[in-house]
Amino acid sequence: MRWRFLLRRLAMLAGTLLVASFVIFGSLYVAPGSPLAALSGGRALPPSSLHVLELRYHLNAPFLAQYWYWLDGALHGNLGISITLRENVSTLIASRVWTTAGLVLYASVIIALIGIGLGIVSGLRPGKVDTSSLVATALTAAVPSFVAAIVLILLFAVRLRWFPALGNGSGLLSDVQHLTLPAIALALSSLAIVARVTRTAIREEADREHVQTAVSRGIPARQLVRRHILRNAAIPITTITGITVASLIAVAAVVETAFSLNGLGSYLVQAAQTKDLAVVQGISLVLVTAFVVVNLVVDVLYALLDPRVAAGVRAR
Amino acid sequence: MTVKHHRLRRAALALPLGIALLAAGCGRSAGPASAGGTAAGNVSPTAGLVLTTPAGTKQVPSVTWAVYRDVETLDPMSAFDYPENTAISLMCESLLLQAPDGALRPGLATVANPSPTQMVFTLKPGVTFWNGQPVTPADVVYSLDRQMNPANGGFYGQVFSDVRSIQATGTSQVTITLTKPDYWLEGELASMPGIILSKSYTQQQGKNYGTPAGGIMCTGPYELKSFAAGAGVTAVVNPHYWNTAVKPLVQQIVIKGVPDITSFTSGMLTGAIQGSYFFGASTLDQLEHSSAVHVYQGPGQSTDALVVSAASGPLANAKVRQALSLALNRQGIISSVYKGAALMPRWLANPGTFGYGTSVFNAAYDRSPVMSQNLAQAKKLVQQAGVAGQTITLGTSSQLSSISAETGAYQAAAQAIGLKVALKSVSADNYINFFESAQARKGIDGFITVNYGDYADPAALLSTIVMPGASQNYDNYNNPQITALLEQARGTAGADARAALVAKAEQLAAQQLPWIPDAQPTNVLFLSSNLTGAVASFSYMFAPWADQLGGKS
Repeated sequence: MRWRFLLRRLAMLAGTLLVASFVIFGSLYVAPGSPLAALSGGRALPPSSLHVLELRYHLNAPFLAQYWYWLDGALHGNLGISITLRENVSTLIASRVWTTAGLVLYASVIIALIGIGLGIVSGLRPGKVDTSSLVATALTAAVPSFVAAIVLILLFAVRLRWFPALGNGSGLLSDVQHLTLPAIALALSSLAIVARVTRTAIREEADREHVQTAVSRGIPARQLVRRHILRNAAIPITTITGITVASLIAVAAVVETAFSLNGLGSYLVQAAQTKDLAVVQGISLVLVTAFVVVNLVVDVLYALLDPRVAAGVRAR
Repeated sequence: MTVKHHRLRRAALALPLGIALLAAGCGRSAGPASAGGTAAGNVSPTAGLVLTTPAGTKQVPSVTWAVYRDVETLDPMSAFDYPENTAISLMCESLLLQAPDGALRPGLATVANPSPTQMVFTLKPGVTFWNGQPVTPADVVYSLDRQMNPANGGFYGQVFSDVRSIQATGTSQVTITLTKPDYWLEGELASMPGIILSKSYTQQQGKNYGTPAGGIMCTGPYELKSFAAGAGVTAVVNPHYWNTAVKPLVQQIVIKGVPDITSFTSGMLTGAIQGSYFFGASTLDQLEHSSAVHVYQGPGQSTDALVVSAASGPLANAKVRQALSLALNRQGIISSVYKGAALMPRWLANPGTFGYGTSVFNAAYDRSPVMSQNLAQAKKLVQQAGVAGQTITLGTSSQLSSISAETGAYQAAAQAIGLKVALKSVSADNYINFFESAQARKGIDGFITVNYGDYADPAALLSTIVMPGASQNYDNYNNPQITALLEQARGTAGADARAALVAKAEQLAAQQLPWIPDAQPTNVLFLSSNLTGAVASFSYMFAPWADQLGGKS
């Protein structure tokens, strides 16, 4: 059962990647503009030079042939060569993937700890704590990452000088220091959403009959919260956390640009602008894979959290 | 002659330029103020701008230098934009050298002209590559051939159109034989096309030359330490630099792509970035008011202009172009788009390009009227042309704020004189297609550009616009008088005589307006306030700019 589930998910991943790669390749192909514009820097090159460039990058081959060149290479582990940097795409991705992974992971930890924590506290303690957390989350939910980035830089980098304003670190400690502001900027609005959903889920569970029964049976509050409220509220909390974490992968591009981090997201945007097909394809596949994997983890978590849910059967 | 278009990808990221006015004193150093000699009685048009900043005096271990995006290649053959030029000019040297005032000087070699169709280059004694190997005539011939041969797909092949042969003619001598006299080639050889590479190293690297995988081998005061995708270009002092008169003070320079203006600004304010020639920084007044940053303005070599691409219709008529030019509010553009960091145009050329025959250029420039607004005169011209009520179509991109602001200024000017304006807006990424594709220009009468030539000569840009068949002559413009003047200038040996011919061509172009100039941007240099010594003029694009960079004592 478990194996079949995993195999099925792997097959789905392969199918998703194939379809995504074709769609991305196709849409970049039909989009106006040509990589020649990037290659020639907008200069009017003599036709002979243009011809050399076209031959070098198979720019004149028909669409399906170009896609096949790429797919064939990708199946053999060669993601192609970046037109602008003339370097292997896998090398380019490898040098950037840890920045994005670190950023998303850091932001996820912030969301999980603070978002869920805040949701639990305000769900269990109606009153001042709840109201103030409601106001705070209403505010932060409305702040997009790029605005948060500007405010954070201005406050904590330029004014207070607690954190560096831009760039990657060197070494673990300096990496964490460099990623703190970006991770907060990335996490802020998702954190608010997770906190609110958690709060609602907790409230809902707390009002359910089995909890009321447990209260009347005199079960200690601690146990009540852990076994009767949290456990049952865990499914919606996991769902919303999973969705927001997966979406962080896409939003990371904005934050990476704002903080001049060498991540995959900002590079994807740059490559799409110069129509660097191989790079766009390579990064997209990494992002799609990450997205699918996060969803897989969420599905597995459902099964662990709720014995009624068998792996592979969608929980509600 | 080749010209680089101002990259619109970059404009997509950069908001309108915002430099405080050429206000006296404001953050400007008291460096040499004259850009080239000025003849008695004439005020230099670039007076008040600085060529360089006072030399540094203290050693500095490392400096981070921002460019608007990551460097993509270090191959001079494929260098076309600010980031690549900044990195290559730091580390590589060309046969001749463009001084901060734009004048041509000996570089790796001296040049002599035994006859008008012969250029003889003699390598300076003791010139070596970073690895200690001497620069030989074979390296020179190889480097120039590589640029010239279209099979290599380089950008500068056309520069060598008048070259018959390039041959080693001695142990330290290379002779270029021309099919006809070409005094513009010297300027090109003081720029990217003239950079000398190690033949053996380049051949060994093949296609990888200039990429992160292959690296480069040049002669300059800084050598390449690392070029990693994403991490930028790191250059360190070359301990074996052949020119012992130059002793760089900054041990390491990291050239880093910073595409986001907020990021750039906070980087400068916090010291994470210590210098940049960032073009079009919208936060410039903020930086100018910071005690952490010094902002300098030097002579520029780029021109902000309306490209006239209409071969028919109202704009094909010189009178209508003159009317539009007279109706245009250039002061508005300079203050809103450039926040003052640009000069009012008189010619198509930026006066920062007067790299030779300077007194001749200055005198002629002084006699030319400033292109200021005169609506009454403009209306009269439109009536004479009989085009009132007709429509002109301008290409623009609402995503590029400076482009759309300037297009707006043209729209207002056209409407004020009774012309109708239709706008065709494209995405920021597709704006470049107006330059690239005749299909994209179809039905478009004009669009905004910022454009510059490869070296300090007004003719470097003008020739690409007006010469028949030239790379930026989109409307098949042909004015026999201007063409003849430029062709004559190209074959004239004497600097002053050549300048006089080019000045005449510029004066004619200022009347006939093959393109309509909007503003002449200055070159803006940002430095951390504890640093000094970087070149402040546009020549940093073509020649070493950090030789004197260092700390203040």
